[in-house]
Amino acid sequence: MSSSSASAMDWEAEYAAGVFEANTAALYRSSKSRKSRTSALALDSDNEDQDITMASASTSIRARTGPTAPILDLPQDDESPLSQLTRHWMNERHAPDILPAEEELLASLLDHIRRQSDAVQLLRGEPSASEEEHIRIMLVQMEVERVKFIVRSYVRTRLFKIEKFARFIMTDATIQTRITTAERVHASRHAHLTDHHFHNSVLQSLPETQSHLDDTPIFMPPMSSSFSSSWILTHLTVWLFFSFSFLLLFFLSLPVTKPDNSRAVFVHALRDCPPIRFQENLTLEMKRGHISLMPFSFIEQLLLRGDVELI
Amino acid sequence: MSLPQSLRSSVTPPELELVASQQLIEIIPLIAMEKTAFISGAFGPLQPPRKTKIPLWMAINLKLKKKCHIVAPEWLAVEFLQSCLDEELNQPGFSMLPFRYAEVSKVLLDIAPDDIQSTDKIRSLLKDLREARQAKSREGLDQLNRGELSLSNLCSLEINEIRPFFVHAMGILTHLHRDASTEDQL
Amino acid sequence: MDNDYFSIDAILAENQKIQCKFKQRIPEMGHLGGGSERDITALSKRQIPIWLAYIIVYSDWADFDIPQPFSNKVRNALRAEPRSVRLSNLVGAGTGWYVFGKTIMDMLGDEQGVEMSEMLVATFKGRLVDVIDQAQHFAALGPVGGGGSGGVDSAPQMFREGLDTTERELFVSAQESSRRMRKWYEEGNGGTKRVL
Repeated sequence: MSSSSASAMDWEAEYAAGVFEANTAALYRSSKSRKSRTSALALDSDNEDQDITMASASTSIRARTGPTAPILDLPQDDESPLSQLTRHWMNERHAPDILPAEEELLASLLDHIRRQSDAVQLLRGEPSASEEEHIRIMLVQMEVERVKFIVRSYVRTRLFKIEKFARFIMTDATIQTRITTAERVHASRHAHLTDHHFHNSVLQSLPETQSHLDDTPIFMPPMSSSFSSSWILTHLTVWLFFSFSFLLLFFLSLPVTKPDNSRAVFVHALRDCPPIRFQENLTLEMKRGHISLMPFSFIEQLLLRGDVELI
Repeated sequence: MSLPQSLRSSVTPPELELVASQQLIEIIPLIAMEKTAFISGAFGPLQPPRKTKIPLWMAINLKLKKKCHIVAPEWLAVEFLQSCLDEELNQPGFSMLPFRYAEVSKVLLDIAPDDIQSTDKIRSLLKDLREARQAKSREGLDQLNRGELSLSNLCSLEINEIRPFFVHAMGILTHLHRDASTEDQL
Repeated sequence: MDNDYFSIDAILAENQKIQCKFKQRIPEMGHLGGGSERDITALSKRQIPIWLAYIIVYSDWADFDIPQPFSNKVRNALRAEPRSVRLSNLVGAGTGWYVFGKTIMDMLGDEQGVEMSEMLVATFKGRLVDVIDQAQHFAALGPVGGGGSGGVDSAPQMFREGLDTTERELFVSAQESSRRMRKWYEEGNGGTKRVL
């Protein structure tokens, strides 16, 4: 990769010791596909077990890249875990909302990374390695780094959204079903931290009735002028004070940042899709390979079903 | 922050290059290597001079070490690109180029020009194609509304370039819209 | 241009003042809008910031005038040629013409509101392609290409200076995107930096 991604690696390093580590550790523990150490020698081609998996793998490769391969590289049904994760990574990067967590997929890839790294360590120990062997080890190592990059970027993209929507996540049951336990804990801690900060820096100095972040608008006056001027006076004063205290528009938005699902995304139909209904009785039926720009909310269901991907 | 500002609104070209280089490409190996299990699948064995397919990133690496020749994909040839360009100039839609043609062609022209026929002509065709397609996506901007804009056959890198302002502009159009029937709360 | 609670731009947009004509006397509130009297008298006019004007207008204590940036004169000019109007000059610094317009549009009744919306949309669309074209042109010039396309007093230069804040944001994101792409195209020859 070129230098701009080298700088992207820097922010990875800065963050490496943080939440991501905690997250992956949690994922490791939950990994179901974790295999015994003896089969971890993915590089050992003398291993019979390995030969079988490699043989089946190479058949699928041949199928995927036959001469009739479509010019648009549409993913096939036998997509490898890595291509699946790559797709989820890109979807997550483009979607305004948090998409369902891919816990098992991530766990199996992390497990694979670990096995490959172990194998590299083992082979590195051999002093008699030839040039060919060196190149082979280097390639395996390099792939591990590439996969790690994708895994990290995927996890961090989710973390970014989780921090951004932390307060919303704590109040919304639906979004909670889409995130992992570790992510939920992180959201909760982040929400508490910001609440605490708001309280310490501003809210505690305000009168009791206004010292909570979750205040709803205090009043909407009736649409008539048939009330006493003292009523107007009192309420206008309250309103003034209220508005000044926050300088914010209470009846347009509450202090919760929510995903903006009206934000447009580029979608690519992976198969023929059922028609989508737009406003003004317009419908669109995307055929396989179709590319469109449209608000996320229109294609959210199609994305969850895997009919489309974001590009 | 968990994600730098620059990565929030779009993905970067190097990231797209990373994705594109997972694609397989044919090589003629100059070294031997046993069949090896990678995370993305099993590749090899490499037996010079037998052609085989490996991921592009691996091919790049071997090529830089002068351990293989790369077989240029069929579409990376003057004839095909010329026909695409003709179509681009004479037809309304975008011509059918591989989805990641820009990433793949750039990488291959950078690292394996000796494996590609008439690179100068190809470079200039790619540039013309890029410009012709850019002009078309600019026309798309004219048709932009708050609903939907079809851009079939637009490619990965091209989408990425127009993404920030197409998405932003569509958001503004949504924001400025008002239906006569809906009684706004305010 | 969003309604997020923590959006600074949304807060600033509410600072624009509109002229309100009070329908009744409001005692003890003479200081509003910088007045020096004790009370607000009926039929008096005051410049009230939008965040406060909402409640005054919705409570039917006052009517408001369509602000000057959206007057018939401006509308006619925009209808004739949207690109010739310097939107940035119509509103004060730090606020956007579209953001302000959207706020007014939301406060208007159906008929006027829809009309306002159509005017805003037509203006935005009428200028959009030029905004992007210029942004890409500038990105192509690189860091030294300051004056660009035809000198200081040229039409493109005037157009750029007249961009509203929303258009400026679009300009910057289009320019940024083009630069990123150029950078990627230009670097990496030889490929030695390609690590991943």
